[in-house]
Amino acid sequence: MRFSIFRFDPERDKKPYMQDFEIELEAADRMLLDVILRLKARDDSLTIRKSCREGVCGSDAININGRNGLACITNVRELKEPVVLRPLPTFPVIRDLVVDITRFFEQYHSIKPYLINDEPAPERERLQSPEDREKLNGLYECILCACCTSQCPSSWWNPEKFVGPAGLLQADRFIADSRDRATRERLDDLNDVYRLFRCRSIMNCTEVCPKGLAPSRAIERIRLALVKDSL
Amino acid sequence: MLRPENKRPVFFNPVLIQMPVGALTSIVHRVTGILLAAGIPFTIYILDLSLQSDQSWSRVVHLLDAWPFKAIAIVFIWALAHHLLAGVRHLLGDVDVGSGLISARRSAWMVNLGGLAVGLLAAGALL
Amino acid sequence: MVQRVSAVYMLLFLVFLLFHFVLTPPHSYQAWRDWVRSPFVGIAASVFFAALLAHVWVGIRDVVLDYVRPIGARVLALALLGLCLAGAGAWLVRILWLPRP
Repeated sequence: MRFSIFRFDPERDKKPYMQDFEIELEAADRMLLDVILRLKARDDSLTIRKSCREGVCGSDAININGRNGLACITNVRELKEPVVLRPLPTFPVIRDLVVDITRFFEQYHSIKPYLINDEPAPERERLQSPEDREKLNGLYECILCACCTSQCPSSWWNPEKFVGPAGLLQADRFIADSRDRATRERLDDLNDVYRLFRCRSIMNCTEVCPKGLAPSRAIERIRLALVKDSL
Repeated sequence: MLRPENKRPVFFNPVLIQMPVGALTSIVHRVTGILLAAGIPFTIYILDLSLQSDQSWSRVVHLLDAWPFKAIAIVFIWALAHHLLAGVRHLLGDVDVGSGLISARRSAWMVNLGGLAVGLLAAGALL
Repeated sequence: MVQRVSAVYMLLFLVFLLFHFVLTPPHSYQAWRDWVRSPFVGIAASVFFAALLAHVWVGIRDVVLDYVRPIGARVLALALLGLCLAGAGAWLVRILWLPRP
């Protein structure tokens, strides 16, 4: 199988370049990450970030044939050759396929991704009805791999000001939470030409989410809540 | 975090990044919007001319019959059709119609093809 | 919001316009002029053009916010856009409402 991989070593290279690899698939090669690791065994300078290797940690998000995804849960046999691997678009490259997503986490932090509730805590825990818990499905599963935000044109043009699909999905996760008391403040914070309303419903986020979540739906829900609020 | 003096490359080439059909619809929505906005002065000029006098009215009628105008009109009608259809798609999305991924993909195709179909119809009617 | 409300009105007006041109196309200058100058069409068309200019303002502003990064160029582009739209508005008022010789 033929691969073309983005290479950049800050200590050696002035500019990134694409390097071709060729490798025979073996019976045990299921996912793209398996093959990348075998390539790395051959050339140990090839760098990728990975941890859980089963789609839970979100470390190995890369751009695969133009589309962001997790190498560890991408079936290598379904990919078109040559398989072109690049780092996630728009983030500074640390080395090869590893990018610095500090900016992504800054946007995530900006939506206050934690329960806000000043009421005195009950003796045991803050309970939720099964119906209220149900509302968090499709929101809490996000693993913050940055595939969506890095594929989102609105985030490309305004990365510092637009929260981006991942951050907005999490904003909706806390707006939807029956135990959170800061819905008002959260909505006010997002009611801004940039923070929320740069979204043009292009839906690249939902297209590429490796967990099958729908940030575009979450954004729509927030938008709807804001409209209802203003009427 | 990277130190700022450490200049890092960034992979960002929209041509090399896959654009699903919804992204195509969105970018064409934007391009047709700019095209239509650019056509406004011309449209106002025609409207002005058509309301000035008997003579200027006939000039407009002649102008609308000339082929360069027809060619522009076909592009304009395609742009308008695409822009309207994509706009209706947005409005339906607002009231939560067709905002799932599968139906959004389908409606994006419908907008792209519908716009072209109207453009072709206009070409057939005008030429 | 402005974008959506103006879009809906323009859509309705364009459908009305299409029907008018298909069913009773104006055949003479006089007929066309009288139609445009009738109070109903005059008001409906004026609202249409107001909606159009508002729609263009929001739309092109969004394009400028996306692609024009330097703040000076951005302000300049938006000022230019505002000027053009104001000019178009004045021109339309003249066409639709001021008496002609």
